[in-house]
Amino acid sequence: MELTTSMSTQHRPINALIAEDEPILSATLQRMLNKLWPELDLSCVVENGFEAVQSALTSMPDVLFLDINMPGKTGLEVAQELAEEWPIDKAFPLIVYVTAYDEFAVKAFETCAADYILKPVSEARLQKTVQRLQSHFQTRTPNVQQPDTGTDLERVITQLRELQQLARPTLTGHPVMPTEKLAVIRAAVGNNIRMIPIEDVIYFEATDKYINVVTAEHSSLIRSSLRELLPQLDPHLFWQIHRSTVVHIKQVKMAHKDEAGKITLTLKNSDDKLSVSRVYAHLFKQM
Amino acid sequence: MGMSTKQQMIAKWQQWLNTIPDCFLKKVITELPRLLIINVLCTLLVTFVIRNGSSLFENWIFSNAIGASCYLLIRGVGYYLWKEAPPTVLAFYLLSVTMAPIGFVLGSVIGAVLFSYPITSVLHFQSKFIYAFITLTCIISVVAAWSFWNKIQMTELIAIAEKEKARNASIERQAMQAQLQLLQAQIEPHMLFNTLANLQGLISIDPDRAQHMLAQLIVYLRATLSASRAENTSLQSEFTLIQAYLDLIAIRMGKRLRYTIDLPIELEQEKIPPMLLQPIVENAIKHGLEPSIHGGTITISASKNNGILTLEVRDTGLGLPFNYEDKQVLADKSKLGNTNIRERLFALFHDRAAFTLRPNTPEGTIATITIPMAR
Repeated sequence: MELTTSMSTQHRPINALIAEDEPILSATLQRMLNKLWPELDLSCVVENGFEAVQSALTSMPDVLFLDINMPGKTGLEVAQELAEEWPIDKAFPLIVYVTAYDEFAVKAFETCAADYILKPVSEARLQKTVQRLQSHFQTRTPNVQQPDTGTDLERVITQLRELQQLARPTLTGHPVMPTEKLAVIRAAVGNNIRMIPIEDVIYFEATDKYINVVTAEHSSLIRSSLRELLPQLDPHLFWQIHRSTVVHIKQVKMAHKDEAGKITLTLKNSDDKLSVSRVYAHLFKQM
Repeated sequence: MGMSTKQQMIAKWQQWLNTIPDCFLKKVITELPRLLIINVLCTLLVTFVIRNGSSLFENWIFSNAIGASCYLLIRGVGYYLWKEAPPTVLAFYLLSVTMAPIGFVLGSVIGAVLFSYPITSVLHFQSKFIYAFITLTCIISVVAAWSFWNKIQMTELIAIAEKEKARNASIERQAMQAQLQLLQAQIEPHMLFNTLANLQGLISIDPDRAQHMLAQLIVYLRATLSASRAENTSLQSEFTLIQAYLDLIAIRMGKRLRYTIDLPIELEQEKIPPMLLQPIVENAIKHGLEPSIHGGTITISASKNNGILTLEVRDTGLGLPFNYEDKQVLADKSKLGNTNIRERLFALFHDRAAFTLRPNTPEGTIATITIPMAR
């Protein structure tokens, strides 16, 4: 405790974001954290996944408490989006996942050493998490001045990859979707339904409520989300390269890596360029 | 001891028969022991009653030849005429009576060949007893045919009964399994721990509401646990359970959830199977409203029309997934729940009950169960 006091006098206080959709649980977590770690700045409290991403990107917190089952985006989706969008010159926040009883999730968190706490949150358990976080900030000066060496971000990305593979249905809070693969995409165009053979698709791009299906001739909107669509696509042919982009890999001409390490794809039958996020960059290493 | 060896032999024989695929040949082999017994009876009849003067052995050979000829002719022609479809009794007897004399002559010729007797003299010898023999053959053929025919009918009936039994057993098993899965799904640990977490928080923030929440949790747990053992429940108690459940969820979701429950007084005592409506309400919360940013409204209602009870769960949540087709059965948990509901409805009411899901406007889902009312 002495340590935190001395730290907070030297730097601006460590700030945390809490993303929890159930108001009572959110209030409870705030109250407990106030008690266990009074110096922690808890000004960022949000109720869903969308707000969590927005708020985190504007206020740049040092710690994130992310509920797994949230409307809008799950805690994992929030973490992934932040990993993609986080500015490279800022330290990536530490993430603590919060989940109600779920043995698969717990196993997954333990396997990839992600920090998590279970609801109902016991004070003793939260105390341990607080200590761990504090000792982390002891070795790393929080905030702005010091660019992330990339280690925290890398660790989070690796964890995310593992978590997504380990327990997709339980952690994302969505049921396992059909294994049957789509052969044709049916897109409404005015009063007509455009039938798009799946092999003609160059890429899918998700927007808020729609997916843009791009072929050589046209692009059409379907009302769906990648979360729903992905399980219906052949994973060997359709690669997710960004949280909102899935590309037909046979349509990719070249992957170009710039000085900053950012990867961009050029396509065979389209002039569009697609950027690959950090989370998926490993897919484009040479063989 | 003797009994058990006989039983063992029969068992072995039947085991061996089971290894042969169903075909004409199998039928013949199955009926062979019976044919041989009848042939022995004929031998005794001819030797000691008709007294044709031939030796017992000779008569036995002739009986077998004639019996086998008659049998094969009747079976063969029958198979040729009707294939697998069983003929009418009359047609089968007619066939037996017409085939018997031919079988008699054919069998006599075979017998003559076996003993190297001149065929003409054997036929001449037989003709002395011709009426007795032909009558005997006909009677025996008809009697044998009757016994065989009955046997066929019996085996076919047994086969049908067994198929039916297997089908019923499988339906029953499916229903049981569906029920079991439903019960297991009932008190989800996730739901329970989330509720407890809220309760833990409320105790210090708002003790009065914590009290209320605890009371509703008790109602919910008690009703769920007792309902899983009951065969029937009244709409009133089912709605009480749903009210408690929605109260708990409403505390958790805060202002994101609004709900209405509408049960007409005259339907309160109506009996329905337990755990039918509740999983649908839970699905609407879990897949429709909980994942929705702004939440929404859930409305549960019951109505009665022309002896049909309609239960409706209407939500304004996220709605059915992309590409959703009502009839599809997939390895998807939410749809597995729906399959369970359908299977249970089918086991209980066959096709007189229905469960449908359709989109609500502008957003959300409407789930409807229709079941015939008792009496």
